[in-house]
Amino acid sequence: MIVNKTEKILEVKHLKKYFPAGRKKIIKAVDDVSFDIYKGETFGLVGESGSGKSTTGQTIIRLYDATDGEVLFHGENVHAKKSRVEKLKFNRKMQMIFQDPSSSLNPRMTVLDIIAEGLDVHHLAKNEKERKERVEQLLEAVGLNKEHATRFPHEFSGGQRQRIGIARALAVEPELIICDEPISALDVSIQAQVVNLLKKLQKEHGLTYLFIAHDLSMVKYISDRIGVMHLGHMVELADSDELYKNPVHPYTKSLLSAIPLPDPEYERSRKRITYDPSIHDTSEEPKFREIRPHHWVRCTSKEFEQYKKELGE
Amino acid sequence: MSKLLEVKDLSVSFNTYNGEVQAVRGVSFDLNEGETLAIVGESGSGKSVTSSTLMGLLPKPAGIIKSGQILFQGEDLVKKSEKEMQKIRGKEISMVFQDPLSSLNPTMKIGNQIIEGLIKHQGMNRAEAKKKAIELLDQVGIPHPEIRVNQYPHQFSGGMRQRVVIAIALACNPKILIADEPTTALDVTIQAQILELMKEIQRNTKTSIIFITHDLGVVANVADRVAVMYAGKIVEIGTVDDVFYNPKHPYTWGLLGSMPTLDADDEELYTIPGTPPDMLNPPKGDAFAPRNEFALEIDAVMEPPMFKVSDTHYAATWLLHKNAPKIEMPESVRRRIEGFAKTGKKGGE
Repeated sequence: MIVNKTEKILEVKHLKKYFPAGRKKIIKAVDDVSFDIYKGETFGLVGESGSGKSTTGQTIIRLYDATDGEVLFHGENVHAKKSRVEKLKFNRKMQMIFQDPSSSLNPRMTVLDIIAEGLDVHHLAKNEKERKERVEQLLEAVGLNKEHATRFPHEFSGGQRQRIGIARALAVEPELIICDEPISALDVSIQAQVVNLLKKLQKEHGLTYLFIAHDLSMVKYISDRIGVMHLGHMVELADSDELYKNPVHPYTKSLLSAIPLPDPEYERSRKRITYDPSIHDTSEEPKFREIRPHHWVRCTSKEFEQYKKELGE
Repeated sequence: MSKLLEVKDLSVSFNTYNGEVQAVRGVSFDLNEGETLAIVGESGSGKSVTSSTLMGLLPKPAGIIKSGQILFQGEDLVKKSEKEMQKIRGKEISMVFQDPLSSLNPTMKIGNQIIEGLIKHQGMNRAEAKKKAIELLDQVGIPHPEIRVNQYPHQFSGGMRQRVVIAIALACNPKILIADEPTTALDVTIQAQILELMKEIQRNTKTSIIFITHDLGVVANVADRVAVMYAGKIVEIGTVDDVFYNPKHPYTWGLLGSMPTLDADDEELYTIPGTPPDMLNPPKGDAFAPRNEFALEIDAVMEPPMFKVSDTHYAATWLLHKNAPKIEMPESVRRRIEGFAKTGKKGGE
């Protein structure tokens, strides 16, 4: 897919999401995160549990209200006060696929009703016949049969349920889909099927993905650009090849060195890098700086010079 | 190397309302002293049922051992009573589970949970056992063990809890450690630490490990030998190098091909079509045949036996029969394996 790097579909600016944790304590789940997503690309968001990657995704689609900061979708602020009609319009453009395909589908609804819910809300189907045809079309697009429409979620395997979740997201013809760990609950052989499906749909419908995951090798495979999150901060952002070839931030390096690869020879000779947060320069508040074109790192000015030297620039 | 454990033609079924689920169907393997055997497979392939059968932890009365022997130091564990198994469990064979939170008692101090086994199996008194518990915590890399020993599980992080579970499992110097997806619930960096810890412990204690996982990357890291399970059977078994660099079974091809490499390009991932079979009615013949693009006519009629590839390497597929058409692994899978070998050389950087 040729990504036009001029048209921004989503701009996240200084996004913050704090949760109260009792007794005047707050948890800074997302703390001043900024990034852009271009039309037609796949932006990968990786990090360990507790890094704030899922909260970022959920705040972008406004499942949470942001504590501070802006999310601009086509230049319009998602978190601004909106009328019901405006919200509906926005919801149609942005959809989400969830991690757990069994808990994200209503067990009392048929697949037909699950997928058609979006069509009903947005009045996209004129009559019952059109509604059914559209659902059947969607089922076929995600590799299921139209006979599946009358069944209930429990009659499907995990991989098939995830396909239903994808069909539901596609129903309203969105531009951006937030995929929150869409494959982590699936078996290895099924993961590849779903990833191939997501790639195929992206090509056919010109979709943009925000792909949130902790499986770094899969993120590398599907993403054009990747942002690495750690403790609520975005620590590094670059094109996926650049990030894997020239990681700069010590946390990214440790994360990359920890990925197990299905290659005994590599595993025997692998040297793991451990991340020691105390090596950071604390003389000033770290900022997000561009170390190479399109390659950003969170660092202080002193570290910036040091990282530049390491990169040989 | 001497054989510590021999599993012979083990079959395990579960009685359910819908009928008999054949979870394990004739599994045979050996475990040598001091080695790590990884069992890989998808959910429902029978890998966890195999391990709980070894421990005598099949849920009763639903789970039944239909046939087979589990020979541990010459004795058949299948024939042992629950009372006899209690003497073996924790002392000779112990287990580490996937979820460290649910395998610890939330109302008991960490120390007391480690001490339990020491007092029961080794006849230590409380003071001795507590000293040993602190030693064990230190051994698994928990800082300030003398303070930590008096804390409760909720005061530990996920990785630290798994270290505690490993300490409990190792308390009585077992001969075999069964680890059932011990790192699946952990983050990658923590996973790497736990894997290193297990390897280090193995070097020091010569414990044999059966490592159950679905993650081929983890297998490549820890295993000496690998058994690939599908639909309740071992379809391929060999050393890690045999299975990763010279796989013979189409299912293993599919597993390896469906994992992206870090050099991955825009090439589509190789996938295994379809879904695993229903073990209520396992298909006749080769269970993998419906998903196998290289299936032969005989696959629908007869199950393939184990064919010998080399002294260490066996695979159950008719493709290895001398009359079978010569079929090589798919091009994309071959390229992927070559790609691994390439990154392997870069690994030392």
